[in-house]
Amino acid sequence: MNLINIKAVSRKEFYHLIRDFRSMYLAFIIPLLLILMFGYALSLDVDNVKTMVVDHDRTELSRDFIRKLDASSYFKVIYHLRDTVAAIRYLDQGSTTMAVVIPPGWTEDIKADREAQMQVLLDGSDPNFASLSRGYITAFVEAYNRDRFIDFLNRSGKERIEPPVDGRIRVWFNEDLESQNFIVPGIIAIIIMIVGAMLTSLVIAREYENGTMETVRSLPIRGGEFLIGKAIPYFLIALTDVLVAVFMGQVLFGVVMKSSFWLMVLASTIYISVALSLGLLISIATKSQLVANQIAILVTFLPSMLLSNFVFPVENMPKVFQLLTYIVPATYFIDILNGLYLRGLGLDHLWPSYLVLVGMLVVLSNIGFAILKKEGM
Amino acid sequence: MTGLGSDVVYVKDLEKRFGRFVAVDKISFSVKKGEVFGLLGPNGAGKSTTIRMLCGIITPTSGYGRVADHDIFYEAEGIKHSIGYMSQKFSLYEDLTPFENIRFYLGVYEVPPEQWKDRIEWVLDMTRLHDVRDRITRELPPGSRQRLALGCALLHRPEILFLDEPTSGVDPITRRHFWGFIDHLAGEGVTVFVTTHYMDEARSCERIVMINEGKIVVTGSPSEIISEVFPDTPDSDLNDVFIELMSGRDS
Repeated sequence: MNLINIKAVSRKEFYHLIRDFRSMYLAFIIPLLLILMFGYALSLDVDNVKTMVVDHDRTELSRDFIRKLDASSYFKVIYHLRDTVAAIRYLDQGSTTMAVVIPPGWTEDIKADREAQMQVLLDGSDPNFASLSRGYITAFVEAYNRDRFIDFLNRSGKERIEPPVDGRIRVWFNEDLESQNFIVPGIIAIIIMIVGAMLTSLVIAREYENGTMETVRSLPIRGGEFLIGKAIPYFLIALTDVLVAVFMGQVLFGVVMKSSFWLMVLASTIYISVALSLGLLISIATKSQLVANQIAILVTFLPSMLLSNFVFPVENMPKVFQLLTYIVPATYFIDILNGLYLRGLGLDHLWPSYLVLVGMLVVLSNIGFAILKKEGM
Repeated sequence: MTGLGSDVVYVKDLEKRFGRFVAVDKISFSVKKGEVFGLLGPNGAGKSTTIRMLCGIITPTSGYGRVADHDIFYEAEGIKHSIGYMSQKFSLYEDLTPFENIRFYLGVYEVPPEQWKDRIEWVLDMTRLHDVRDRITRELPPGSRQRLALGCALLHRPEILFLDEPTSGVDPITRRHFWGFIDHLAGEGVTVFVTTHYMDEARSCERIVMINEGKIVVTGSPSEIISEVFPDTPDSDLNDVFIELMSGRDS
């Protein structure tokens, strides 16, 4: 290893980078856009479901039910309607996603100890959202029933009655079930792949296309020195992006890391290096910027997005795809970040994922060195 | 040592195959120190393959060769330190300035940093690029780019300069300047190994090897070659020789 060599390559690569606005755009603008888009737009939380109510009963009890519904943080009553036809029209328009219809005689049925029915209409075009809403309204009705039942028993003479089983649920890690808490680590993983692998997939292919690779091969520089020199500017950019993402996650979305900052930096350093070796390897192997870019999207960006447990849960995938997730570096990085961010874990629990990433780095970079060596470097 | 005294390039039975295709077929020749040596041949004759083997870019299939006292099979890195190479495309970084290009080569050639200032001045003087040192290389005329590429290949003061078709795509005046400069270098003791298919340029070489289909066809100084191929017509020139030999008299 020769530092003068490496420094010369890095400096040259840095000039290429700052003079190519597409690279600068990919390096800085895209990451910022991704953080903002994912952070604000891709909220997977469901609360304040826009709800319409059609109260045919119009009694004190039905009004009390609707008040309680509106008071719950899960629902927001935005329309009080006269009939179901209007509710269906709003559902068709998509302006609300749920309607609660209380039929006439509802209170009478309750008072007479008959089964009192109530209709709930849900927009199922977004199945995820609909099933969450269904869960909320079911739980809400059950709680309402239980309260009324206990109220009834207490009033009819028994001193204090508690339900036999009282499940007290406490969410371990990510107590408020905020999806932003796991979106931020996911975005960091994807940004690194974009900056690390997609940008670097171009850099050696460019040398081949411009004919400069021919000269480089005649220079007294080894493949390893060449690759490391090329990687350094991109490494620094990717690390800057990570720090910006962490900072923005904290300031904009209140996502605070529970465990050590330096463990996060260590994980990012290894993961960035994996991404860079992958990008450079693609570049050496394809020797064409166009092909390299296509392949980079296919093998780095998409798997990081789809097969890393980020947006789509791996448990629900077919077995083949589940196996594929094991070779996606982002899977391990996101595992580490979730451990650090949400669970407050340390190296004692996370070392296997660190180790896998290091292994990937060793394999990928050595393939790159070997190919360049065969090319006479 | 098989290489003789003042030979800076010496090859014996050098062969390069790509699969079943024989690009260079057991050629032998030597180049003396300070000589301007021309390797001539039509497109696809094996000129570039030969020059790339000599520069340590590709490894020969068989044979023997030494360049600047380094074995071309085992000491590619030593060769790369002792030579300068300029490929057909000038292969500069066009989005960098001449100054930045020069600094890249200084670093990669491992020139000690305390000498950088002097070397940069020296190369800018020699290539007459002082006024444009901070312009983007892409915007410079072809002649300037060619001088810059040549200057970069000389930054580490190599013993041997390899030029692969250095004047393709350059106008005749620039070519004349270029050859004036090559003579100047040779006068300073630098060995110049050049491939070309311009026969007027070949006249400037002290010694020539002509190859065709990977084999050596004729060797000697330009005048020796002319009188050997056309003993009866003294007003023939190298062009006639080239056409005579390459259009397949012996195939």
